[in-house]
Amino acid sequence: MTIGDTVQLALRNLNQTKLRTALTVLGVSIGIASLAGMVSLGIGLQDQFVGRFTKSGVFDAITVMSAQDRPGVLASGLGLGAGQRGGARARGSSAAVPTKPRPRLDDDALRRIGALQRVKEVYPNLRVPVALSHERFAESYIATGVPMSARNEGAFQTFAYGAFFNNESENACVLSLDVAKQINERDPRDLVGKQVTLTWVASAAIAAGAPSAADNPLQLQHAEARYTVVGIVEREPGPGGLPGATPSGLMIPLARAREISAVDAGSLQSLFREPAQGKSYGSLTVKVTRPQFTGDAENQIKEMGFMAFSLNDALTGAKRAFIVLDIVLGLIGSIALVVSSLGIVNTMVMSILERTREIGIMKAIGGSDGDIRRIFLVEASVIGCAGGAAGVALGWLVGRVINFGANLYVQSQGGPTGNLFSLPPWLVGVAIGFAFVVSLIAGSYPASRAARLDPIQALRHD
Amino acid sequence: MPAFLETRDLKKHYRMGESTVRALDGVSIAVDQGEFIGLLGPSGSGKSTLLNLIAGLDRATEGALRVLGDDLAQMSSDALSRHRQRNVGIIFQSFNLVSTMSAAENVALSMMFAGVPRPERDRRAQELLEAMCLGGRQRHRPPELSGGEQQRVAIARALANRPRLLLADEPTGNLDSRTSAEIMALLTQLNERDGRTIMMVTHDAGLAQRYAHRTVTLLDGTVVAESHP
Repeated sequence: MTIGDTVQLALRNLNQTKLRTALTVLGVSIGIASLAGMVSLGIGLQDQFVGRFTKSGVFDAITVMSAQDRPGVLASGLGLGAGQRGGARARGSSAAVPTKPRPRLDDDALRRIGALQRVKEVYPNLRVPVALSHERFAESYIATGVPMSARNEGAFQTFAYGAFFNNESENACVLSLDVAKQINERDPRDLVGKQVTLTWVASAAIAAGAPSAADNPLQLQHAEARYTVVGIVEREPGPGGLPGATPSGLMIPLARAREISAVDAGSLQSLFREPAQGKSYGSLTVKVTRPQFTGDAENQIKEMGFMAFSLNDALTGAKRAFIVLDIVLGLIGSIALVVSSLGIVNTMVMSILERTREIGIMKAIGGSDGDIRRIFLVEASVIGCAGGAAGVALGWLVGRVINFGANLYVQSQGGPTGNLFSLPPWLVGVAIGFAFVVSLIAGSYPASRAARLDPIQALRHD
Repeated sequence: MPAFLETRDLKKHYRMGESTVRALDGVSIAVDQGEFIGLLGPSGSGKSTLLNLIAGLDRATEGALRVLGDDLAQMSSDALSRHRQRNVGIIFQSFNLVSTMSAAENVALSMMFAGVPRPERDRRAQELLEAMCLGGRQRHRPPELSGGEQQRVAIARALANRPRLLLADEPTGNLDSRTSAEIMALLTQLNERDGRTIMMVTHDAGLAQRYAHRTVTLLDGTVVAESHP
């Protein structure tokens, strides 16, 4: 007996009991819908959570600091306070002080870290003290160097007014809304496109041969430049990888910050270092190609003798929690599927009772045990596949309705909308495949019962 | 040359609770190709049991049973189903047609199990039904056919895979005398014209003597009389 004939005969049999077949298919589809619905809820929640955090630019970032002991507050005035906090937050292992001679966090280290596998980008966290003046307003700020790759990440996902830097080399700055309001209380929007003046210390030197230390020991030279305000962001972004760091209300392209600090650090910082050491950074931010590689990269950087930490471990923990959630949701969804698979068993057993005589006839005219078993297995699996397809459609529909309702609520609360239920194509395939397998398992007992029927007994059956 | 069909000391015992029912208790018969045998005996004599064993629907408890040179006792369950497909065609008292299938579908069903491709199946079913004078009733289902028509559909089905042996269990038991005569004429024609070997179970000695070449009479599972042509 060919497969085509078997399927044809099975479909014919199902067609004879339309109502019962339809009800059984409905039962399976509710089971699959509840399973697919629960799993897609888990996936949707995970997408919402992980997606949002991944976009925040925090989880693919590692903060690297020199492991050397530094002279307290005097250490370049940037990154250290944050570094201590961050270091305390990181687990014991990352705080472990290596025994090797401690390497310095300079341009050479930057290159070496940048050469590591799976590292997308390395940049120093540059924060330079500047004075900002605009018309009659003047105030001191810490300007943060922002790499071009931060576009659309973290706080730069949404701009209150204006936009991100066009290129790395322009004299442009982004302000936080707070700072913008400090400058122009009534209409911060008006600042976009306007120019402000930044002033910074260009060089400093200890006045050689000064008669007394109290008598102006530093000779400072100032430099200034005009910067155009290109954008205003709502909240103050912490530097990548250091969410706890002091936020800055003034952001300039990284390349500009580098130039300013090159002049500055070459002089001011060197006052407190041995002259031979040259330029070094307070901290670096390392971006890896994917969040799951942070652990690897972190370890490699630690082996180089630096302190490194990231928040990816928190994300890994959250993902683990989501796997558990998926399993729990899947199990809840499976209960309905188990019930509906019992429905398949019931339908098939009923069908065999009704068709006992027919089975006897088929055996008497040459149907083998295998033929009979296959006919019933195909019937069960047709019910399963139809139920699976209908179930996925049903689950999708219910998910859409709940998404719509949830988004209406979230919008009314002023939150960002998103999909609570997410039905990726693989889940459609898995759900229908699962329905098929479950129906085969459910159908195997009735099918082998039919196959084992004694033809003589079956022919006597009414 | 081995006999067309041969049984030697064939036994079939059933356990019914405490006691053992000896449905067949040492039957030895031989049938040549082209014979028309009548199996006679009262109900419970074991004649239907013998027919079921020859058909490969059941297995003997003891003894030898060779059909067309094959020992049925040695056959696997799949080999027995092939034996039912190709070697024998069975005709029942109660017709045993699938009531939800049309006449043509019933005839084609046995060819489906034998793996005959669909176009050939349909063509042969049509031919067989026309030969049974049922050309206009191919799309009818068994409940829409008379008893005689149903039995002719069943005969067409039994012939579908061109078996050399036809087994008929009380083929006229549910039919009136006029229809019975038609069916018997058909069986005689299949035996005489086509050379098919026929074994027919009946309790009607007159019917057996009129149509069969010879009769074997069973009583309590043993052969008590054998007429010779």
